[in-house]
Amino acid sequence: MYSLTVTFTIVITVCAYVACRALYLRYGHPLLNIVVLSAGVVIAILALCRMPYATYVPGRDIMTLLLGPATVGLAVPLYRNRHLLRKYALAIVLSVAAGAFSAMVTAGLIARFGGLPQEVVMSIVPKGVSIPFAIEIARLYDGIPALAAAFVVATGTLGSLMGATFLTRLGITNPVARGLALGTVSHAQGTAAALMEGQEQGSMAGLAMILAGILTALFAPMVMLLLN
Amino acid sequence: MMKVFRLAAQTALLWGIYWVCNRFVQATGLPIPGNVIGVAVLFSLLCFGVVKLEHVQEAADFLLKHLVFFFIPIAVGLMDWGPVFYDYGLVLLAAIVASSLIPFWAVGFITQRLHRKEKPCTP
Repeated sequence: MYSLTVTFTIVITVCAYVACRALYLRYGHPLLNIVVLSAGVVIAILALCRMPYATYVPGRDIMTLLLGPATVGLAVPLYRNRHLLRKYALAIVLSVAAGAFSAMVTAGLIARFGGLPQEVVMSIVPKGVSIPFAIEIARLYDGIPALAAAFVVATGTLGSLMGATFLTRLGITNPVARGLALGTVSHAQGTAAALMEGQEQGSMAGLAMILAGILTALFAPMVMLLLN
Repeated sequence: MMKVFRLAAQTALLWGIYWVCNRFVQATGLPIPGNVIGVAVLFSLLCFGVVKLEHVQEAADFLLKHLVFFFIPIAVGLMDWGPVFYDYGLVLLAAIVASSLIPFWAVGFITQRLHRKEKPCTP
């Protein structure tokens, strides 16, 4: 019975992923977010079958086994673009650091003074970075990984829908600056949006996304202290 | 067949780096996630030529192509957290919008200041 439940949860998750990915690749709209859609489908099926979240946990643990090695693999695109890293070193370090830090502090302060429970505040602080980094940072400070993932996706969706317009309104026209901003603020989804503007914007966004993840992890001890 | 074997071997290498970095974090009590250290370690190994791109790139490209798959099981955990969005929706929205606008401006402004000479694009 146990292994049957585990198999069932894995099968529905994989099927939801395959279907939602096909949908996204076909229409390519930022609102068709693969994570949101697939998780919605899985949650609906679990609810229909009256299965509580606890029954999903063993399957979840099996499916996320490769998340760690996949995240380590982010070093590969970073290495491939090392010439850009060197060329724009100062701008990248300064602006991504400023972006990551201001995102954490702004989100944390508004959440804190908006009266959110402590574990929700800790989950929203790393919302500007890729999910694997965000969930680990949230976990270190007793945040909730699932909430952290939700805030990451919300930020990414906002950035990919509105980012280009925001940047134009703010007078940011330099392609390097636009790419860095999109990657720093809205991680992978922002990177996809940046790629639509051009190759250079896309590469810069990809670099910024990974560096923002690293810098957010480094800043987290300080920011969390500030919020406590 | 060869390809599957190579993918498995490369994934094992990535996993090994991740595992060592995680153990290092646990042993030292460093407040930094193991996966963050893992990225830095692999990047350094590539730069110093200890690990060659062809030792890891097939597995890395494959795993990164499907990276979002791993996020789905984590997001399913939201099924227990629905009420938070009802109770605090506005605060959450304000926090997310403000914490996107400010860094958008900060990143764009700093980079543009440092690279003023370069040609602007017309989006």
